[in-house]
Amino acid sequence: MKSTQLGEFEELVLLVIGSLKDNAYSISIKEELKEHTKRNPSIGALHSAFNRLEKKGFLKSFEGGATNKRGGRSKRFYQITAHGRKALDHSYELRSALYHTLPQLGLSGE
Amino acid sequence: MNESRKKYRPPKWPDKFLEWFCSKDQLEIFRGDVYELYEDRIESGSKLKADFHFLLDIVGLCRPFAVKKTKYNNSNNISMFRNFFKITYRNLLRQKVYSFLNLSGLAIGLACSILIFLYVNDELSYDRFHEKSDRIYRVLEHFESEGNGEHSASQPFPTGPTLQSEYPSEIAQSIRLFNFQSPTLALSNKESDKAFNESRVFFVDSTFLDVFDFELISGNRESALDNPNVILITASMARKYFPEEDPMGKFLELQGRQNLEVVGVLEDSPKNAHFQFDFIISFSSLKQWYNGGYPGSWYWNPCWTYVALNDNVSKEQVESHFPSFVDKFLPDFIKEDVTMELQALTDIHLYSKLDYEIEANSNIDSVYIFGAIAFFVLIIAAINFINLSTARATKRAKEVGVRKSLGSSKSQLIKQYIFESVFLTYLAMVIALLIVAIVLPAFNALTEKSVQFTFLFQPHLLLSLAAIALVVGLLSGFYPAFVLSSFDPILVLKNAHLKTSGLSFRKILVTAQFAISISLIIGTIVAINQLQFLQNKEVGFSQENVLMIPVIRSPMGQHYENFKTAALQSPAIKSMTAVEEIVGAKHQVGNYRFEEMEQSKPFARFNLRHDFAKTFEIPLAAGRDYNQTVQTDDSLALVVNETFVKSMGWGTPEEAIGKRYYFRNELKGRIVGVVQDYNFVSKHHPIAPLVLTLNTRRGAFNLFIKYVAVKIDGSNMKNSIADLNTAWKSVMPNMPFDYFFLDDTLNDSYKAEKKLSNVTVIFSGLTILVACLGLFGLATFSVEQRTKEIGVRKVLGISTPQILMLLSREFLLLIVIAFIVAVPISYLLTKEWLNGFSYRIGLEVWPYAISGLLTFIVAFVTVAYHSLRASSINPVDTLKYE
Repeated sequence: MKSTQLGEFEELVLLVIGSLKDNAYSISIKEELKEHTKRNPSIGALHSAFNRLEKKGFLKSFEGGATNKRGGRSKRFYQITAHGRKALDHSYELRSALYHTLPQLGLSGE
Repeated sequence: MNESRKKYRPPKWPDKFLEWFCSKDQLEIFRGDVYELYEDRIESGSKLKADFHFLLDIVGLCRPFAVKKTKYNNSNNISMFRNFFKITYRNLLRQKVYSFLNLSGLAIGLACSILIFLYVNDELSYDRFHEKSDRIYRVLEHFESEGNGEHSASQPFPTGPTLQSEYPSEIAQSIRLFNFQSPTLALSNKESDKAFNESRVFFVDSTFLDVFDFELISGNRESALDNPNVILITASMARKYFPEEDPMGKFLELQGRQNLEVVGVLEDSPKNAHFQFDFIISFSSLKQWYNGGYPGSWYWNPCWTYVALNDNVSKEQVESHFPSFVDKFLPDFIKEDVTMELQALTDIHLYSKLDYEIEANSNIDSVYIFGAIAFFVLIIAAINFINLSTARATKRAKEVGVRKSLGSSKSQLIKQYIFESVFLTYLAMVIALLIVAIVLPAFNALTEKSVQFTFLFQPHLLLSLAAIALVVGLLSGFYPAFVLSSFDPILVLKNAHLKTSGLSFRKILVTAQFAISISLIIGTIVAINQLQFLQNKEVGFSQENVLMIPVIRSPMGQHYENFKTAALQSPAIKSMTAVEEIVGAKHQVGNYRFEEMEQSKPFARFNLRHDFAKTFEIPLAAGRDYNQTVQTDDSLALVVNETFVKSMGWGTPEEAIGKRYYFRNELKGRIVGVVQDYNFVSKHHPIAPLVLTLNTRRGAFNLFIKYVAVKIDGSNMKNSIADLNTAWKSVMPNMPFDYFFLDDTLNDSYKAEKKLSNVTVIFSGLTILVACLGLFGLATFSVEQRTKEIGVRKVLGISTPQILMLLSREFLLLIVIAFIVAVPISYLLTKEWLNGFSYRIGLEVWPYAISGLLTFIVAFVTVAYHSLRASSINPVDTLKYE
């Protein structure tokens, strides 16, 4: 089986796509990421990530919604697949499980 | 908004770029994205910024996943190349004659270019191995009045040190080289009784090793030349004089007079330096020869003087001082006539042609000529390749048809054929290297070089060889590949008649090839002619059977008359004289003032002893030769040549007799004789006015008399030399007896031309060979193409001569055109070259006629061979071969 590891950036992208629901296409994803992370990923980097995620089976896409602004060209919308959702869950569980093993901050010490 | 969109459009070319690289299924989305972003940015910022980000976005999209997949991405490259190899190999074997012609032509062309490259590279490397070579200059002295005088590579003794003390901020160091102006000096190792006359001995200033980077094997580099009476010898001289012992601290005796301690061993002098040495003696050792000091004369200029300038000092800067320098130091009577100049060290070998060069230099013309020849040979070879490959193309038409039907694209086929030609070029390159390795020793002997084959094994040279092969391969493969790949598969597979496309282009190429060959042949004939013209013995004096014996600084001064009397006892010895320089090769210059002259002027001058005209068989135009019985001849008589008479404006030689000249400021001397003009230097120079002066003083043998010249009986050479030796031993039993033949030495004056004509003969021979290989291949092809036609014609009753005519017509026409093109080009070039000689052949018609005829005949024979073969084939065979 191919690696289903999620990169940090990939994970963020996947989460944003999930949160955008029906309006997840490149520009909106870009805006959302910018707003939440203060990072401004290039369109190339984003498409590269979409491509990887799609190959891993975390995303599926469909085209539609051409606007004037785009010169009448359609957009490509993305949706998280069940597999993608599982990967996010897994990642979240792993993180929180590990997080809870951290010693509590404070003066308890030894 | 609509309006703004109209006003602000993103730049077009990044969009074009996107379209170019982006795969189709991504293009629409990407375009939409970048346009949308652009619109957003236009609304919130300037157009320039938006344009810039537009470009950035697109560049950012240029990622592997988005790039267009090439159509054949899935094909297996390795097996493709393996297949190319296989096809190349099979074709090589299938068409052995073509392959042989193709490869040998290319290999010869490449080998020639490599050889010439090695030669040119060596020529250009002269004197560049010194670290300071770009700052070292030689000081020249032009001493000229009304066209007479000298352009000297050497300087008076005081020039070097005075320059340095006058301009210390500009001149870092000065070095003088001096050798008594003597062709040889005697050196001996007394302990082991080894004595030789050596020609490459120099006295040099102590700065010699600071300025020049000659390797010192043993000894102290800093102080080696600081003391008087010390000598440095080269490694091979160490072996010659001190076999099997350490030479350091041992002594060598110079001219039987001075003991010199060996304080260092030098590496043998590098071949690519403009002067070669075997012995280097400290300059201060000279004081012993000149009563404890150095000659202070500003007139006598025997020292080759070099200066190393300080950093950032230009040649012009130093030269600007020279007029005032001349004015300040040079004696009044020559001031007006002297100019000084700096000559870059690295220019000496290729550009310098002065009087008194240490050794004869090469010249830049031959570098250009050789370079051009190399280039032409390569072009001819490449043209061959193009012609043969395209001619062969029809043979491979079926292969192309099959490949195309199976889905090969045009670009793939082009790739294949270019690969093939590049591969063949590399193969030819390997063969060429083998050829070079084999013929290099012979080439070295021919050009008097010692280039090693291993020299080629330097990364940058190997790379450039590979690059040359690649370029030649690409150039010569491009056109055939283009022709081959454009065949229509349906036509070729149906075996329909192929248009012999490219034939006219091939014709142009063949014409070019033969134009080059014919030009080279014309050039070669002219060069050979000129050489023969220069070497022909009509120089106005007899040079056969004349022995020259170097005697400078030997005790000969005291013994000359005895030696002469003893030698002339022998019936095999006809006449004897003694001379200042080699007759016909060199002269010195002296100032003379004749009546009607305001001031003394420099003239070519030649010191000699009695019987000069007799020994060299120079006829007198008027008056008499110096006479033994006239005591005053030594100082109060001069003999001049006819040109001298003319230059003085005296009508006839007879008129010149009795003209007076100043001797010690009194108008006392007289011209007593006029000799007919003879070439007292090589025929590179026109005959100038010449003064022959008798010098019978004993001291003359220290400077003014360098050789004894003896006319011997040519039919009895052995005896005459033996008798001379006996006479020599009777007066100077301890001195080695050395001699050489005058005509041998004089022939050396034309070495450069000889080298040039040898090399051009060989290489132009090779070019015509290569061109004929090509023609042979083309003729083969053309005959093969027309076998059916010839068959039909034979059935209809054509005769053999008619077939010959039919087939050779088109080629011979090409040669005629080539000839017409070649004639004016070679006319201009040879004229230019010949203009460099004062004695030159006229431009005659016959070299052109001969080269044209020769090429014509060779080409005709080549083509005729095929025609005859074609005519002897039974038409039944050719007509049924379908």
